[in-house]
Amino acid sequence: MAKASANTELCKGCRLCVGACPKQAIIPLETVNKKGYEIIRIEQESCIGCGICYKVCPDYVFSVE
Amino acid sequence: MPVYKKPESIIHTAGYCGGCGHGVIQRLIAESIEELGLQDRVIASVDIACAFWAQDAMNFEFIAGPHGRCASVATGIKKVRPDATVYVHAGDGCSYVIGLDETCYAAIRDVPITMIVVNNGIFGMTGGQMNLATTLVGDKTLSSKTGRKRETMGHPVDMLKAISNFDVEYLARGALYDAKHIDQTKRYIKKGFENQRDKKGFSLIEVLSPCPTNWKLSPVEAMEKIKNENEKMFPLGVYTDRGGER
Repeated sequence: MAKASANTELCKGCRLCVGACPKQAIIPLETVNKKGYEIIRIEQESCIGCGICYKVCPDYVFSVE
Repeated sequence: MPVYKKPESIIHTAGYCGGCGHGVIQRLIAESIEELGLQDRVIASVDIACAFWAQDAMNFEFIAGPHGRCASVATGIKKVRPDATVYVHAGDGCSYVIGLDETCYAAIRDVPITMIVVNNGIFGMTGGQMNLATTLVGDKTLSSKTGRKRETMGHPVDMLKAISNFDVEYLARGALYDAKHIDQTKRYIKKGFENQRDKKGFSLIEVLSPCPTNWKLSPVEAMEKIKNENEKMFPLGVYTDRGGER
């Protein structure tokens, strides 16, 4: 089954994906990336590979395959 | 299961603020062009504003003309390169205020270009001044500190209704506040490029997009504002679809 993966170096900490995920599988973290934005983590067990995070993300963090 | 991967035409990340809608619109443009197989001959016209970043991000040819004159620049490109796919990626300040005459006359001439207008209700790049055409009544901006007033600053205008008086091919408005509406917006943008490929006429797609930095809201609150306030003033949907008959 397809799962989402995240390249968090591209993340800008907008948190749009956190609310959009239908399974609440995206967890906001306080860790920051090199650019200084707070990143996210994907809960792989809950992910259903629907691609909604890919669609709402303005910075192309996610890919689903 | 479908595979979702960043389009190949996007080669770099752009410098947009976190939560900005321009990034999503850029992806929708790139995906539409790639799905139609037009990516080898694309010339885009961008404004000297936030959309200017698209030049860094995308693997297309770009021209940034004088501020606000995107539609005229694109008209010129289309006249000398009729086989190229020419699109405009510009904001509402460029298209509806500074370059209103350029947009109107591109529409009146019915030039077969695709124009994508990012309606975020504010002048983003210059620091958040009021946009006469799209800032809602009551919205606080840098140049309307106590909120836009109907009596002194006028009322926002639904520009798609105004342009629909001209004989154009396609006018539609989408939004970006959830995945369903992003998909719908992509269908509109793709239709715009199809119209251009089939040499049908002028297509303009307006997208309601957030500007969290200048609205002084979090990205999530900005999306809520579009859903609850901006969409009431600027209804979504297709305004004109001529179907190719000139």
